[in-house]
Amino acid sequence: MELEFNLQAVETVVFGVGRSVDQGTEFCEVSADSDVQGSLQEMVEQTKKEADKTLESGYEPERYNPAEAYGTKEYVYLPLKDDLTEHLRNLHNANLTTDNDALSDPSTIFCYFAKMVDGDGNHLTALRRPTQFKSVLKKHLIALINDAVRQVEEDMFQLDYDFDLIVDEHNVHILRPLGFAALGGVQSAILEAVPENIASIREHMDFVDFSNIEEYATNHPRAASYLASIRSQGQMENIDPALLQELCNVTSVELSIREEDEKITVEERFILGFLEVLDRRRYPIELRRGARESYKAYGRRKTS
Amino acid sequence: MQNIRREGLSVARLMMVLSSMAPLFIIWAIRGIALIPNSLLISVCLLLVAAPHAVLLIRIAVARRQNDKRQIVVGDAEDNRTHLLVYLFSMLLPFYSAEIGSYRELAAVVVALGFIVFLFWHLNLHYINLLFAVLQYRVFTVYPPKDENPLSNRTSQVLITRQRSLAEGEEISGYRLSNTVYLEVGHWSWNLIFRPWKL
Repeated sequence: MELEFNLQAVETVVFGVGRSVDQGTEFCEVSADSDVQGSLQEMVEQTKKEADKTLESGYEPERYNPAEAYGTKEYVYLPLKDDLTEHLRNLHNANLTTDNDALSDPSTIFCYFAKMVDGDGNHLTALRRPTQFKSVLKKHLIALINDAVRQVEEDMFQLDYDFDLIVDEHNVHILRPLGFAALGGVQSAILEAVPENIASIREHMDFVDFSNIEEYATNHPRAASYLASIRSQGQMENIDPALLQELCNVTSVELSIREEDEKITVEERFILGFLEVLDRRRYPIELRRGARESYKAYGRRKTS
Repeated sequence: MQNIRREGLSVARLMMVLSSMAPLFIIWAIRGIALIPNSLLISVCLLLVAAPHAVLLIRIAVARRQNDKRQIVVGDAEDNRTHLLVYLFSMLLPFYSAEIGSYRELAAVVVALGFIVFLFWHLNLHYINLLFAVLQYRVFTVYPPKDENPLSNRTSQVLITRQRSLAEGEEISGYRLSNTVYLEVGHWSWNLIFRPWKL
């Protein structure tokens, strides 16, 4: 994992949490002492190591695809200016309030994060969904002068070993794609992007009626993620209608041709299958003569 | 999203407010109050000067030791020199010139002082301290840059610094003295207090 951040010259480390409140969600910073700051830096280092372990030797991380089924830990990335990273971009660039009472109710906390600045002014934000989060406030006299969170010997404030993702100046580096999907508001982003994605795909595939597909995808996240994947990979260009119909036929996706304008229409029960075909996830294989098999892949990699 | 502004370190802030009253206690100790024996008055005034300043210095030391700092991004910055004038006119002059000839007048002055202390504490004016002025610090109220980020804080911070001016967009690292008052990193030296001749 190559970060645009110098972990050997960290100037500022700030700890913070995201909480669910009546009005929605809020993010705030929580003062933390130097031990906790050191632990947060170690977590970033550990995240880098874990990410590099998931990559095969010599391979670069792939761009995150919302329709792809990833493993628990798999290093992928997204450019920070991507539509799917808007929520994280806001957090990365936000000027947050300090609220040292934020840990008083751990049950409301859905994530914690570290924000760092290095000697060159580069910023880094690292996020994690907590697996176990306990905090106890000790009301000692020292707390009256210094109410920063202190790392104590008893296991009262447990940080994890690594982060789910790290944001640097240009990219979001994702170690746990499921964590990113939960923290980054990916589902709501791809549902909101359905009309835009449909419009883009329709430009290249005007021989298909997408009106009921758009309506379906607006309420079905999986279909919405397929649309985002198709558009982001540029896979709707130069598609031959005849080859499309043939592939749908052999992979059990029924299509109809409307008489008035000869456009391809898809019944609702076949919409997901149709999008899987467009997203290169449905394919036939014939290894035994005369015995064609049809498969569906939740995760696939292009080999050529 | 809501912008929260919760103050912590309430005792430390109270001590900072009391430390800003130090000139008044010093003047009272020098001038004397007829109703109170000198030994008692001077002892109490010295305590009211030393203890809050000790807390302030401890707070600075703890913040530095624990690296308790954050980045402050300058949108707009106001020089708070006028606040010192307000402090002078609301604080020092009226109390200095008050005649304390009876116990009722003494009680009234103490209660009035208590109101002022509470107001300064409640309004987060705990950064108004002649010590910073003597040490040639300036105090700015820094407003965050205006942006469309729904998560960004809209509230101001107070920055104690030796800089003469702050540029828009500048990022400054500051030690947290309270959730609203920060001391610019690199602008504090213990020699300022204990060995000024070394500077």
